[in-house]
Amino acid sequence: MDNTFVEFRDLRKSYGALEVLHGINLAIGKHAFVVLVGPSGCGKSTLLRMIAGLEAITAGTISIDGRVVNRIHAKDRGIAMVFQSYALYPHMTVRENLSFSLEMAKTPKDVMVARIERAAGILHLDPLLDRFPAQLSGGQRQRVAMGRALVREPALFLFDEPLSNLDAKLRVEMRAEIKALHQRLQSTTIYVTHDQVEAMTMADLVVVMNDGRIEQSGRPLELYDHPATLFVAEFLGSPAMNLLRGTVVSRSPEKAVDVGGGILLPLPEDASVTAGQDVVYGMRPEHLAIGKPGQGIGAKVSLVEPAGWETHLHAEGGGHIFRVISTKRLDVVPGDPVSLVPDAGRVHLFDAASGLRI
Amino acid sequence: MVPMSMIQDGAPPLTAAERFHDFLQRLVPYALVIPGLVFVLGVLGYAVAGGVVLSLNETDMFLNQTFVGLKNYIDIFKDPRFQSSLWKTIVFVVSSITLGIALSMMFALTLYHVGFGRRFFRGLSLVPYFVSGIATAVMFRFIFTTSGGFVNYVLGGLGLPTPSWLGDPVLAFIVAVLANCWFMVPFATLILLGGLQTIDRDIYDAATIDGASGAQTFRRITLPLIKPMMGVSLIWVSYISFSTFDIILALTAGGPLRATELVSVYMYQIAFLQLDFGQGSVLMVVLLTFNTVLSLVYLKIFVFGDRRYKAAR
Ligand SMILES: Nc1ncnc2c1ncn2[C@@H]1O[C@H](COP(=O)(O)OP(=O)(O)OP(=O)(O)O)[C@@H](O)[C@H]1O
Ligand SMILES: [Mg+2]
Repeated sequence: MDNTFVEFRDLRKSYGALEVLHGINLAIGKHAFVVLVGPSGCGKSTLLRMIAGLEAITAGTISIDGRVVNRIHAKDRGIAMVFQSYALYPHMTVRENLSFSLEMAKTPKDVMVARIERAAGILHLDPLLDRFPAQLSGGQRQRVAMGRALVREPALFLFDEPLSNLDAKLRVEMRAEIKALHQRLQSTTIYVTHDQVEAMTMADLVVVMNDGRIEQSGRPLELYDHPATLFVAEFLGSPAMNLLRGTVVSRSPEKAVDVGGGILLPLPEDASVTAGQDVVYGMRPEHLAIGKPGQGIGAKVSLVEPAGWETHLHAEGGGHIFRVISTKRLDVVPGDPVSLVPDAGRVHLFDAASGLRI
Repeated sequence: MVPMSMIQDGAPPLTAAERFHDFLQRLVPYALVIPGLVFVLGVLGYAVAGGVVLSLNETDMFLNQTFVGLKNYIDIFKDPRFQSSLWKTIVFVVSSITLGIALSMMFALTLYHVGFGRRFFRGLSLVPYFVSGIATAVMFRFIFTTSGGFVNYVLGGLGLPTPSWLGDPVLAFIVAVLANCWFMVPFATLILLGGLQTIDRDIYDAATIDGASGAQTFRRITLPLIKPMMGVSLIWVSYISFSTFDIILALTAGGPLRATELVSVYMYQIAFLQLDFGQGSVLMVVLLTFNTVLSLVYLKIFVFGDRRYKAAR
């Protein structure tokens, strides 16, 4: 990429003898909105704090805008960070919270006033400027935290799970607000979350991390449609992908996967597998259709969740639980028989031993 | 979902019985505290009231009392020995507070950052109160005795002069301040450490990114955030410094040349050696007034004057 703005080269982090990041390599383009996503403890925050300059780099390099920043102080990296706890200064008013960094940088008074005015305008903070953090709601505190980042006019925004302390409705609102802010300011953004919905909806580039490594990175739908590993397949998508362990069998004329319980699942025509190979057979819930009786997999409905514009089903068959999403309103109740028809063209196959996509 | 406003609009007003029930419920916490409060205030109040009564009377050896009004007060305020002890007390308290708070802050910051031995220290910090002021004084005598004391042993070994620490008025006063600090600093450290530990670490990270240096972070973030705890430790160190007398008595007995005769020590002299309970009680009232006024000033400035406290109202 020639518009690379942030780059990690074989980046490692150890706490004592414990290595928590095992060689991260990634290039992030200018203006990109990158989401680091992964389960708890996979090293997302550690990576973000290393970019911010809050955590020492054990090995490898981080460069921002073509400059290796390993030895550059946090305040001089051109970054701003929004914390999960917001980390507002509790003894300062909103205005003072916003002006603190400018004051530390000895910014001229008129510039300071202009910048605070601008940030307050963008984030609708004007009526809150003279309040203390304790006098604000969660969503307001969140906006102040963003305002404090904004006044620094950073080239790189860092967010560490900024929405996880908000209720569901506010989270969706703030998600849109952060995205809109990014579209307006075009600052390169690295956003950490463990919520795959946030990752999918906000990112230009999703980086899925697992256990101190990058599992896969790419555009959200690229990852959704072509997960490179079992981990990514399982992690992205809600409800999660149906994953069934099985063995490839020859069933003339074509091959199929025997997942036990008397269930044989069809393979796409171009699948490069050999008979006897152990595989994991993956189907997105929306790629399981409800067929006519006798067709496909025979199963019994165990749970129905009408979500309005779609219906989520759990159905049990051959000792497996299948998750199904249908955009039709289904007239079924638990106990009813259903037949499930996988869309063979959209099946995901993984090698059972390595977890890699076949 | 039903909008909140509709729920509120729809709720019927509370009946008188419901309001009374509400009122009773709000009384419960107070009701639980009252017995303890009455006991503590009773004991304290009795002692204070008794002291005030004593200060307004002439009491002889057989405890016969004659009311004399403010005579004891007038006499004692004219007493040059009292005036001198008052000045010494003020110097003693001011230096103890300054040194004591500085040391406590230093120790608290060290423990906060090092983390190592924090728990051990928490236990250790109560030791001075278990071993009592007398034991503190005895220990300091060992350390500062002119011949054979630890300090002079070290100084002598280094070829430096070995002064008579407890024989010289100025040096003895300094040793008394040190002993007093040794006694009160551990607890003040604990209070400040508790304050430091309430600060969210992310706030320091935010300050680092915002470009605050170590000193700026301390002055602009740490100090204001532990302001209430600072007030409480100030109350503690001033109270101890005004009231201390066992340490001084055992360390220097007020000497040499009355250099360490603080009001508290003089009070002991008058009340228990000269058996003048009236004038002794006047000194008690003086100390009590100082302590109370100072505590109120600290509370006003550090606790109720805290911006967050004001904002919360
Ligand atoms: N100061 C530390 N000392 C030792 N180990 C640490 C330290 N900080 C983090 N770790 C370890 O590093 C690993 C990564 O932690 P990190 O906080 O980056 O995870 P995370 O992906 O942000 O998780 P979460 O979603 O729970 O915030 C974890 O195994 C954690 O235990
Ligand atoms: Mg984290």
